[in-house]
Amino acid sequence: MTKYPTRMGDGHVIDMTADELKADLIAGSADAADRGRIPPLKDDEIDFLLDLFKSNARVVGVDQGNEVVLTHDIGTLRLDGDQGNSGVGIPLSRLQGVQVHERAFAADTMELGHVDYSWKPVKPIIAQEQQALENILLSTIVPMFYGAMPNLGTYYAPDGPFGNPSDLLPMGKIKEAREAQERAVEHATRDIVYICGKLAEVGADGVNFDTTGAAGDADFKASLQAIEQLKAKHPNLAIQVGMAGEFVLGIHGALEYDGTRLAGLYPHEQVGLVEKAGADIFGPVVNTNTSKSMAWNLARAVTFVKAVTAVANIPVHVNMGMGVGGSPVFETPPIDSVSRASVAMVQIARVDGL
Amino acid sequence: MTEQELLEAAAKAVVAADEDEAKAIATEAVKLGLDPLKVINEGFTPGMRDVGDLFERGTMFLPEVILASEAMVAAVAILEDSLPEDQKEKKAGTAVIGTIEGDVHDIGKGIVATLMRVYGFDVVDLGRDVPLDTFVEKVKETGAAIVGTSALMTTTMVGQKALEKMLKEAGIRDQVKTMVGGAVVTQYWADKIGADAYAENAQEAVQKALELVQG
Amino acid sequence: MPIAHGVAAGMGGIRTAGDLVARMQLARKMRLPEAKAYVADKLKISVADLSEVTVMREIREDLDIGVITSVPGCAKGIEAKIRIAELLDISINSVDRLKSKMG
Repeated sequence: MTKYPTRMGDGHVIDMTADELKADLIAGSADAADRGRIPPLKDDEIDFLLDLFKSNARVVGVDQGNEVVLTHDIGTLRLDGDQGNSGVGIPLSRLQGVQVHERAFAADTMELGHVDYSWKPVKPIIAQEQQALENILLSTIVPMFYGAMPNLGTYYAPDGPFGNPSDLLPMGKIKEAREAQERAVEHATRDIVYICGKLAEVGADGVNFDTTGAAGDADFKASLQAIEQLKAKHPNLAIQVGMAGEFVLGIHGALEYDGTRLAGLYPHEQVGLVEKAGADIFGPVVNTNTSKSMAWNLARAVTFVKAVTAVANIPVHVNMGMGVGGSPVFETPPIDSVSRASVAMVQIARVDGL
Repeated sequence: MTEQELLEAAAKAVVAADEDEAKAIATEAVKLGLDPLKVINEGFTPGMRDVGDLFERGTMFLPEVILASEAMVAAVAILEDSLPEDQKEKKAGTAVIGTIEGDVHDIGKGIVATLMRVYGFDVVDLGRDVPLDTFVEKVKETGAAIVGTSALMTTTMVGQKALEKMLKEAGIRDQVKTMVGGAVVTQYWADKIGADAYAENAQEAVQKALELVQG
Repeated sequence: MPIAHGVAAGMGGIRTAGDLVARMQLARKMRLPEAKAYVADKLKISVADLSEVTVMREIREDLDIGVITSVPGCAKGIEAKIRIAELLDISINSVDRLKSKMG
């Protein structure tokens, strides 16, 4: 029986028969459907994915006319970053990094970010970030975001003023852990609103909340609160929300936004709250399982994201970096897998961007 | 209440994180003269397994997991009291766990540490940004059965490889099982550096840890 | 990796109309089909031509809204964005800020 080269979730090459591929596609979609309580992919969609995996093409592409907008989280750090953040360590200025993306890589949008890439450390250096952004906005054309992570971890000991839930919870100090998170939410909200307000003052097109929810439901809550307050003050500042994982981790467990408990929300449930807060673009995340095949992972990711686009009223730009959105957990993901993931997200999940 | 009903109620009490109910069921089991080990292994433990599954699916949250584990521990204590000394549940072993130096990500590692405690490990959580020397020293000091390291960056995952070498140089690699995890870590990496186990998530980490210590 | 996504599915930035469609997503929260239809209407071309470099190169030169290669005299940076804001009938924050500073 013919075997087709494909990959595991960690990127390594394996060979699978058409029957094996199809079985994994169905199983991956079923897993998403079961966890998210959403519809699995239809037979014709499974067949479409099967054809993608059976194709010998090194790179596949969407049908002409189906192209989508690309946003770029991490921004120029992928060029000048050299501290294990997937950057290639070229000593360019950030302005040059944006110009390279605009004119050499033909990016649809671009993002400025600080090397730490968390909101909190931007506050004391906001004047520098404002001026870097001013210079970029004068000399570039594409929409410019400023991006950073809410990263509530920076508010907990030893980096921040509040007790660390990771220390308190194992000691059974649930009340203390929850109070620390609630206080961190308020502190982070204030910082993010301040920073983004300053960026809006110098003309930023938008801000990107990257890896939202990385520190659990408190992280997501701070982001939603900050977005709501920012939109009230700066309605023309576009806001993109990219998630950290496929469901909101319940480190607090009881936090709510607009009457909805945040912990445990899956992407199609997250997008409504993101819209309600006032955000303009939503970036769902579906994690890659390295012990499963790419067929399993991609069908699963597409199933989750299709459920998001089915209910979204704002553009959906699915996260497609290393280890998410059906891409392998490999720092320089193989082009065959990446392009197949792109095509599947565009043609089946009908995303508005990547 | 039949034995089967009691076993099911024990599991439900753990999932509901209801310590009072769990203790009441344990007391009832002792009163009925049921085999305490059977009640632990076929009642409370499956309940805890369900808790792990629910957490991994995002339908149960960390504070509830902590409460569930407290309910389980309280119930097991009552059952163990009725056992002869030589039949009392032994601890699964000591596990030293931490995030590699240079890496400050500790949420996932903390969850693994929590679940391992729930499953009977004595966990020595070294926290985050932990120098490799400290892992070696703690393994020596505690005689740990497992040392688990977390790395979320490609710059810090190399520390897991270095630790394998340091444990060998210290002459204790054969006495301890190594587990690796973190967002950038894979089974391939674990195999390459010679680690004993890798897990995709916290629940799987606990299962693999139990397999390692139970041989 | 972004290059791979760009090749497989990207609109093409200022080679084509990628930045313009993105602007409508940011400015009006438009889903992709609506954003593409809006921009195509403003440019008086078909939706398919938004990603067609031979069509869009000429349009971008004619409208002087910036092209991807280095061309002397062609609008760059904020000059291009001033025209884009007018073309798409949207506010661009950096353009508004420049105008307000200039009185």
